[in-house]
Amino acid sequence: MFYRETGQFKTSYAADMQIFPIRQDRIALWVVLAIAFLGIPLLDQLQVWPFGGEYMLRAILIPFLILSLAAIGLNILTGYCGQLSLGSGAFMAIGAYSAYKFGTGVHIPLGLFNLSIPPLPVLPSILLGALMSAFVGILFGIPSLRIKGLYLAVATLAAQFFFDWVFIRVKWFTNYNSSGSVSAPDLNFFGYVVNTPIDRYLLCLVFVSIFALLAKNLVRGNIGRQWMATRDMDIAAELMGIRPLYAKLTAFAISSFIMGVAGALWAFVYLGAWEPLAFSIDRSFQILFMVIIGGLGSILGSFLGAAFILVLPIALDQVPHALGVPISVETVSHLVFIVTGTLICWLLIVEPRGFARLWLTGKEKLRLWPYPY
Amino acid sequence: MRAPDGPPVTSGDVLLSIDNVSLSFGGVKAISGVSFDIRKGEIRAIIGPNGAGKTSMLNIINGFYHPQQGIITFKGEARSKMRPHDAADGGIARTFQNVALFRGMSALDNIMAGRTLKMKRNMFWQMLRIGPALAEEVEHRHRVEEIIDFLKIQEIRRTPVSRLPYGLQKRVELGRALAMEPELLLLDEPMAGMNIEEKEDMSRFILDVNEHYGTTIALIEHDMGVVMDLSDRVVVLDHGIKIADGTPQEVKSNQAVIDAYLGVAH
Repeated sequence: MFYRETGQFKTSYAADMQIFPIRQDRIALWVVLAIAFLGIPLLDQLQVWPFGGEYMLRAILIPFLILSLAAIGLNILTGYCGQLSLGSGAFMAIGAYSAYKFGTGVHIPLGLFNLSIPPLPVLPSILLGALMSAFVGILFGIPSLRIKGLYLAVATLAAQFFFDWVFIRVKWFTNYNSSGSVSAPDLNFFGYVVNTPIDRYLLCLVFVSIFALLAKNLVRGNIGRQWMATRDMDIAAELMGIRPLYAKLTAFAISSFIMGVAGALWAFVYLGAWEPLAFSIDRSFQILFMVIIGGLGSILGSFLGAAFILVLPIALDQVPHALGVPISVETVSHLVFIVTGTLICWLLIVEPRGFARLWLTGKEKLRLWPYPY
Repeated sequence: MRAPDGPPVTSGDVLLSIDNVSLSFGGVKAISGVSFDIRKGEIRAIIGPNGAGKTSMLNIINGFYHPQQGIITFKGEARSKMRPHDAADGGIARTFQNVALFRGMSALDNIMAGRTLKMKRNMFWQMLRIGPALAEEVEHRHRVEEIIDFLKIQEIRRTPVSRLPYGLQKRVELGRALAMEPELLLLDEPMAGMNIEEKEDMSRFILDVNEHYGTTIALIEHDMGVVMDLSDRVVVLDHGIKIADGTPQEVKSNQAVIDAYLGVAH
């Protein structure tokens, strides 16, 4: 950046250990939050471009926020703890369907006595759904104690296919709806029904902000250091008293919890009505690519990766139209695939550690600017 | 002999004793029937030619390998095998022959990671990072900064360790082990690949750790000058068998040791 930490002396370790120790960074963060929380609603209220109509909110900002949240979840597992997972879609689906079941009432006939939970409000349903996802995450994390890397990825792939199958075949989850598609209950938060796009956007923003902060606190605390130690050198970590069981399973639990929240939001807030296909293997890959391109082991990278993977195709889609080039819609969509793919390859060659690393390198270079070193 | 800094430890409480320990991998006998002890407060060197079983010995002491035979007594508690977690909890820390730092983390985070076992706040406090959780983090940062001052690595605390030169990596690794406040510190070739100045620095740190923190140290080292200068007692292994044990002078003049290092005319 064009500013440096010069002159900003810290007199306590607490001040030195802030997320943004440099004052200008903190100001920048507040500006971003102000734009997100106040600026965008205001622009939407005034119907100023690009918020004329609902397209910007519905098709770009809401999915961007929810997928960023999912990417943060996967980044904790893959980026911080080093456990490769292809089951993100499954964990999102578990969050979504569990939240749906809690929201519409759980009824399990067990022969002699029946277990019944009346329909819960939306917020507890989402959080309980995420808790279910965390529980299943722990279950599917157990193989990680024995197997690593690509082999673990295959084990998590089992979770993906298994839950794809479960949510299609086990009608109980879809409340015996004949089409297999379900629709979300009313988004009633303490008496306020979230309905308009801007309300939905703000709801996602609140969730994402809170979970991003909590995730950041975790990864810079003791448990985060345990995760990274396990990722970087598991033997040394173990000999220092870090239990691999605890480190890996907490990573699976926290990561699945966050992905469960993201899944519930995706279903309830973004889609409204959905089918199991919404959480297929494609979703898992999409989130994995976001994490890899954004930067493994970086919360900021999760946002950058989500923006790149999600927004770039949409933006590219608009370009020929905006320029007035007369080509068909199909050609454009094929071109988008080609260009996006090429950009991903190029980016991974230039900086395999993703956008987060590019950002850091840029910052370091600018610190020294205009001198080369 | 450690001439300048204090009396050599010639007697004292036994901190760790190894009794008739054997370890084999399949058909290969790495260690057979070795016994020795480490006294509280001493610097104990383990030496021997390549493949003598020195590193295997350290791996047994901190529970990474489980010997097929023998008893390990640590702080009066006898067991046939240690578990890595129990060893760390009981106060055994170590450094590695090939630097085993957490390469994706800064020097500060690496050393902070050494405090893991001392940090008690659970995940939910850490998530909120307020009140007691923040206080704990600050308190441990204090201790870590003391170690950073002690090892004179203040200027590199924010640097990712993968970018540090080898000598400094070794020093950070020592810091990480010290952060565990160990009673017994195992150093596996702390001076391998260092130049003379770095070796002198490292020797000074090892002596200071021993003096200042009262830490018992067991070290493996190939530089005989260093071993003779630093250690109170030396145990010599060859092909998994103990061939000598005693003060540096005794070991130096032992015929079996000379034969093992220089070879015997047939």
